[in-house]
Amino acid sequence: MTSSGTSQRALGVALAALVAVGGAAGCSSSSDGTAGAAGGTYTIWDPYPQFDGSSDWVKLLTKCGTDAGVTVTRTGYDTTDLTNKALLAAQQGNSPDVLIVDNPVVSTLAEAGVLSATEETKLDTSAMEPNLLGAGQIDGKTYGVPIGANTLALYYNKKVLDAAGVDPASITDWAALNAALTKVAAAGKKGITFSAIGTEEGSFQFLPWFWGSGAQLTALDSPQGVAAVSLWTDWLKQGHAPNSVINNTQTTSWQEFASGDYAFAENGTWQLANAKKLGFEYGIIAIPARDGGTAPAPTGGEFVTLPVQKKTDRYAASQKIVNCLTSNDNLLATDTTLSYIAPTAVVQTTQVAQNPELKVWVDAVKAAKGRTGDNLGTKYPKISEQLWKAVQAALSGSKTPQAAMTEAQSAAK
Amino acid sequence: MNTATQTAPRDRGASTPTPSRARPGHRRAGGGTGRWAAWAFLLPLAAYLLAFYAYPLYRNLDLSLRDYTVRSFVQGDAPFIGLTNFRQVVGDPTFVPALTHTVVFTAASLVCQFGIGMALAVFFHQHFRLSATLRALFLVPWLLPLIVSASTWSWMLNSEAGVVNALLRSLGFGSVNWLTSPDWSLVSVIIANVWIGIPFNLVLLYSGLQGIPPQIYEAAALDGTTGWQRFWRLTFPLLRPVSAITLLLGLVYTLKVFDIIWIMTKGGPADSSTTLATWSYQLGFGSLLPQFGPGAAVGNLLIVAAVAFGLVYIRVQRRQGGTA
Amino acid sequence: MRRTTPWWKTGLGLVLTALMLFPVYWMVNVSFTPDEDMRKSPPDWFPVHGTLDGYRAVLGQQLPYLGTSLLVGLGTVALTLAIAAPAGYSLAKLRPAGAGVVNFVLLVAQMIPGIIMAMGFYAIYLNLGMLNTLPGLVVADATIAVPFGVLIYQAFMSAIPEEMTQAATVDGAGPLRSFWSIILPVSRNASITVGLFAFLWAWSDFVFASTLNGGGSLRPITLGIYQYIGNNNQQWNAIMATAVVASVPAAVLLVVAQRYIATGVTSGAVKD
Repeated sequence: MTSSGTSQRALGVALAALVAVGGAAGCSSSSDGTAGAAGGTYTIWDPYPQFDGSSDWVKLLTKCGTDAGVTVTRTGYDTTDLTNKALLAAQQGNSPDVLIVDNPVVSTLAEAGVLSATEETKLDTSAMEPNLLGAGQIDGKTYGVPIGANTLALYYNKKVLDAAGVDPASITDWAALNAALTKVAAAGKKGITFSAIGTEEGSFQFLPWFWGSGAQLTALDSPQGVAAVSLWTDWLKQGHAPNSVINNTQTTSWQEFASGDYAFAENGTWQLANAKKLGFEYGIIAIPARDGGTAPAPTGGEFVTLPVQKKTDRYAASQKIVNCLTSNDNLLATDTTLSYIAPTAVVQTTQVAQNPELKVWVDAVKAAKGRTGDNLGTKYPKISEQLWKAVQAALSGSKTPQAAMTEAQSAAK
Repeated sequence: MNTATQTAPRDRGASTPTPSRARPGHRRAGGGTGRWAAWAFLLPLAAYLLAFYAYPLYRNLDLSLRDYTVRSFVQGDAPFIGLTNFRQVVGDPTFVPALTHTVVFTAASLVCQFGIGMALAVFFHQHFRLSATLRALFLVPWLLPLIVSASTWSWMLNSEAGVVNALLRSLGFGSVNWLTSPDWSLVSVIIANVWIGIPFNLVLLYSGLQGIPPQIYEAAALDGTTGWQRFWRLTFPLLRPVSAITLLLGLVYTLKVFDIIWIMTKGGPADSSTTLATWSYQLGFGSLLPQFGPGAAVGNLLIVAAVAFGLVYIRVQRRQGGTA
Repeated sequence: MRRTTPWWKTGLGLVLTALMLFPVYWMVNVSFTPDEDMRKSPPDWFPVHGTLDGYRAVLGQQLPYLGTSLLVGLGTVALTLAIAAPAGYSLAKLRPAGAGVVNFVLLVAQMIPGIIMAMGFYAIYLNLGMLNTLPGLVVADATIAVPFGVLIYQAFMSAIPEEMTQAATVDGAGPLRSFWSIILPVSRNASITVGLFAFLWAWSDFVFASTLNGGGSLRPITLGIYQYIGNNNQQWNAIMATAVVASVPAAVLLVVAQRYIATGVTSGAVKD
């Protein structure tokens, strides 16, 4: 008994030492084979079903696994499916070793006890930008590492703005934006398209206006909050935004913009690759706050997390895999593939150096904030649901902005 | 009622003539084996039901009677709270609209699907050139995964770039905000659901028509009945068992439809197309923080509704059996 | 067959079919549409500036999944018929004492939300090691069709005149023989109907496939569609192209099966 206990502890110390060495050396040195001590098969789930076995992303996962001395089995799930899948798997004690999930889900999974805190798994999060890390922090604990971030800004159609005589640089507050929309309408073109669908996507798109108005998620019915809803509602009433926005996903709204008729589209970093394929010249400006300056947009993007395992000795290899995925070189490669902005300042600088066009996005990400931040955690999903419902009610004309937000606030409590 | 169930089959069993007196031993065994055979034939089904339905059903009930948070869902230690979830759900401001929409959605879908399906079945039952091929083509909508067919409908009904509105405009009408107006969203999802349901009704009713012996029609033709009379006096009554099961199954499937509505409108805007099924999904899986308990409670209310209609069906069936 | 068929009926049939299939046509149209034209207002009625991008993506990545879908579909048909036909016979003709209860359970069973069923199967399969297997998916998919099949068989079989089985009983045939050589052949229409729907349901199932076979290489085509539904972005022409590619083989199968129903009946299976 005693002897086996000590030998186990000795083994543990040895492993910890190995981990420390591995961590320090990064994932570049594995040729010596010592890392193979852990061995076995490790599962990784991610929300990138668009990448198949031959993609760089999966190759990177395989390589990081090999470097950590383990075999990796990876599965890409549809993102809305992944949360349920993760909860179900955890319930059955079948959680993956590494789970990559959308950032607002992290607090839900952490609340469910599915994720282990970085303090326990010894993940290093010091290099990450604090405003991005915020989405994964609850009650002082951190439950994952951001792998990349995206956020929202306004794409504009240069030809439409030129024809209407609008200088995009002049759009720094809501008044200027409204004036620009009026000019665009006078020139016979359509104004702006966005997504106000009745899901998290709708709240995501509304938040820059909501926060940019000075409102807080804890008080939906504040005058600032109502002003933000009124801004959107008035656009619909005046024909500056199409009625279809009520049902638009971000993809649909992008397709509307791609038709070339619209002056502006609120959309994300991930559309950059598609933007190059547009048949017209485009530009990007930050979303203006009500009284000038850049509105804080919500952060999008995923976190790499380590779900709780019964066998805690598995964390060592998982931790190596995560360190490998979030090493500077690999972050650069991954975030370039995903059209994301890196979560560390160092890689952000490299990204801008490689592609100056990204500057506006890096700035937007720096100004962005996490939806579940401010210690809202699992209160956020409830608030968000009421928020998108209120926006839909106001836009479809079934309630006034004030009434919609008042009801939302009382329901969200 | 219970006695009726018990006696009706036995009466029939008794009245079944078994004239082979020459083999009395066989006959006695036949009575015994009859009961055993009945269960032997049911055995695969019973095993299947027990193995694969019992657990999910228990799970759904359990979910609705406990206070599940995401944490207790994973840890499996949710406290038993009786009917609290049901009380919460029924008291929710969404309940009454969701119930009303469910009734309207189900009734309108059933009437339209069945009516159109019946008309098409009768139409295709007349053998004309290409009838078999065209009838088969009517099933193609069933091959499409719901996400695709529902997305196609929301595409066609889009306020701005939808083909339906383009058609309306070119005909000189104004466009309709099919999916984004609280007045139209329920109508739109009903239209899409009817479209998806037509093949089902067509196939079942058509096979029912095929089962009617042609001699009956020939006799009626001699009597000089018109096509319309023939349908009401002969076809429709003879089709009653198949019609009943078609309607019952249609009802069950329509009650639980959520994906079509979910994909097209998400139950919105402002809950204007929310039914109990979409609400159940919305509660359980529609937001970042699942509320399994209330979601399962709404689901169980739907099961109760289906069971109620099932009882009506079984009663009607028995009454018909009695008079026939 | 006896009279000359009026041409207007074929004409009307064509018009009705065209109306019914318009959404399918629209799906095909979208599958050829390049991104920038997707939300053009008014939309193009024909894919004049068509692109094959969607199909290129699909044919490159999706074809292996079609085979899985086909196997799962046929397996589901076989299992459904094997379970539902005897049960329907028993309930319709042999009438065991608990028949009412069974019917009742069947109705309740159909109302269990698919996602709850899938969660149950996940727990069972995890313990049996049946996740990511073809038989596993077949058994799960059959749960959609089995209650339906039993009810349909029951409805059709109770319409079979008692005299037919009685005649066989006179000849000394046991229940098994009258089931196999009398009831089953006569119920061919019901079998085809049940088989058809079992196939269609299995073919278009998503919930089970995603929960039970999401990880492995044995994915059906419906999951393939999700390859084009990304976190923030959907490739609609590829999604619709997948649906088109997925429905073509099945549509051919349907047309063939329908011809078979027609001949099966006119060849006089029901005539006595």
